[in-house]
Amino acid sequence: MMRRRPSAGLAERLLAGPVLWGGLVLLTAFALGPFIWMLLTSLKDHQELYATPLEYLPRHPTLENYVDAWTSPVTPFSRFFFNSLWVCSVTMVATTAVSVLAGYAIARFRFAGRDALLLIFLATQMFPSVLLIAPLLTQWRALGLIDTYQALIYSNFSFTVPFTVWMMVGYFSSIPRDLEESAMIDGCNHFGALCRIVLPLAAPGIAATAIFAFVVSWSELLFAISFTTETDMRTLSAGLLYMVGQYEVQWGPLSAGVIMSTVPVAVLFTFLQRHLIHGLTAGAVKG
Amino acid sequence: MTTLALGTRRARPLISARTRKLLIGYCYLMPAALCMLATVVVPIGMAIKMSLYNDILYKPQDYRFIGLGNYFRLAADPVFWLSLWNSCVWVFGSVALQFVFGFAAALLLNQAFRGRALVRTLTLLPWIIPGVVVGLIWEWLYQPNYGVINDLLIKAGWLHDRIAWLSTPDLAMAAVVFTNVWRGIPFFTIMLLAGLQAVPAELYEAAHVDGASVFGRFRHITLPLLRPIIVVATATRIIWTFNYADLIFVMTNGGPANATQITSTYTLLQAYSNLDFGYAGALSVVLLLVMLVFTAAYLRITRGVEEIA
Repeated sequence: MMRRRPSAGLAERLLAGPVLWGGLVLLTAFALGPFIWMLLTSLKDHQELYATPLEYLPRHPTLENYVDAWTSPVTPFSRFFFNSLWVCSVTMVATTAVSVLAGYAIARFRFAGRDALLLIFLATQMFPSVLLIAPLLTQWRALGLIDTYQALIYSNFSFTVPFTVWMMVGYFSSIPRDLEESAMIDGCNHFGALCRIVLPLAAPGIAATAIFAFVVSWSELLFAISFTTETDMRTLSAGLLYMVGQYEVQWGPLSAGVIMSTVPVAVLFTFLQRHLIHGLTAGAVKG
Repeated sequence: MTTLALGTRRARPLISARTRKLLIGYCYLMPAALCMLATVVVPIGMAIKMSLYNDILYKPQDYRFIGLGNYFRLAADPVFWLSLWNSCVWVFGSVALQFVFGFAAALLLNQAFRGRALVRTLTLLPWIIPGVVVGLIWEWLYQPNYGVINDLLIKAGWLHDRIAWLSTPDLAMAAVVFTNVWRGIPFFTIMLLAGLQAVPAELYEAAHVDGASVFGRFRHITLPLLRPIIVVATATRIIWTFNYADLIFVMTNGGPANATQITSTYTLLQAYSNLDFGYAGALSVVLLLVMLVFTAAYLRITRGVEEIA
């Protein structure tokens, strides 16, 4: 023990100093480098973009690429952006409403098949969406929903609902029952107790989960390219891919599009990360 | 009369309180159940049915029941077997590296230093941006002529000629796995950081007083206490990565020469390019079976972990 002490001290000092700071610099550079490169690219004009040898910094920074992408008639990025905003917002609101009710029922009522239902919600979170594409396409075509927002929103439920229900059950179970019971003695019915007592208490968690549903839908790609055919109905993810497939890849406007698609989720995430991380890891830390 | 009426109503209400409560419960569940029925349960049923038919979209005249025909085709399809192997490489390559780097990042971020909250937020960003965006960013980084990766490697003298990372069969898989590692590190960082912060500081102090080295403390305190969360996070990640198709779909679409064709992108290929829904259905069923085996194993393991913990 005595012999090992000095070496342990050295290791500790190294770990607390150079290793810690070196590691942090590496980690941050690795995580952010690709974004920064894309940002620099989006600010270059065509000549600088394809210069040999490579120019690292834009000599004459310009927003040209952003204007191009936003207003292009062939790949209308503004349209893609609002399509995404609409699809994700409706998905978020509907998913939250549906899963608050279901989560409350699972957390508060004892009924046959409750455990089986929970297991189904857990298992469906792990389903490959690839599996659903061919059948959903057939289904939406039969219902005449191709090229509609509904098809995308309904399809998004397949991955948002199981996840949010699972989270809601967790939030509601952590709220003591006595509060609702006393409200019900005072004349509230179940729904009133849910709205007046439970929801306000669980509000931060619910909000974080809702935003998460938004962020996940924002990333959705496969449904968006499968169930829309018109350019005007593409969401951001599908639109970006469409920009790639159009002609030769136009990296200028494309990099501007990439940055514009990243900013909204990055901002949302920055504000909500504390709540989100707490919710995401709560189950895992306990289990 | 009134008292009597009241009395009977009280003794025999139309439906008992218990049944009423149950009915309310089912009403609350109904919307979520309908969503799952319409977007998951029925489509899975349809996929299973499709897999039993010769269902090629542009040949409707050939639509007929062929039993297990699609599955026999699958068993004899070398690309399918290759895709299963590629899936293994993709999953284990990605998850193992994500775990190692994610753990290192979590240990760093668990230290107290100024600006920790900022660094934590910034390093989590790769995880929340859309898969298409990740794919495009890295396609641009790997670009042979204008990509910064080739440029840096040449400047550093590690590379002589420019490499077409994504169109060289021997390198394409490594390139997409590396991209996926970049994207997935934050997942492990978040999970393991949460675990690390739940470890009581007194344990470390006590070990320190007893003279345990920093590595000893890591081996005998950190690792055993984090075991449950490591198991859960890794298992979730394995299943998720196996199913994940977006990144490869965007970056290489399974190419070159099927070098990055994993089972989920192969399913997409059959459905989109070949419009062979029967064959895609059979592939989906295989994916589903693999997923069920993984999930069953996952539930067994996590249950085991809970008992130990």
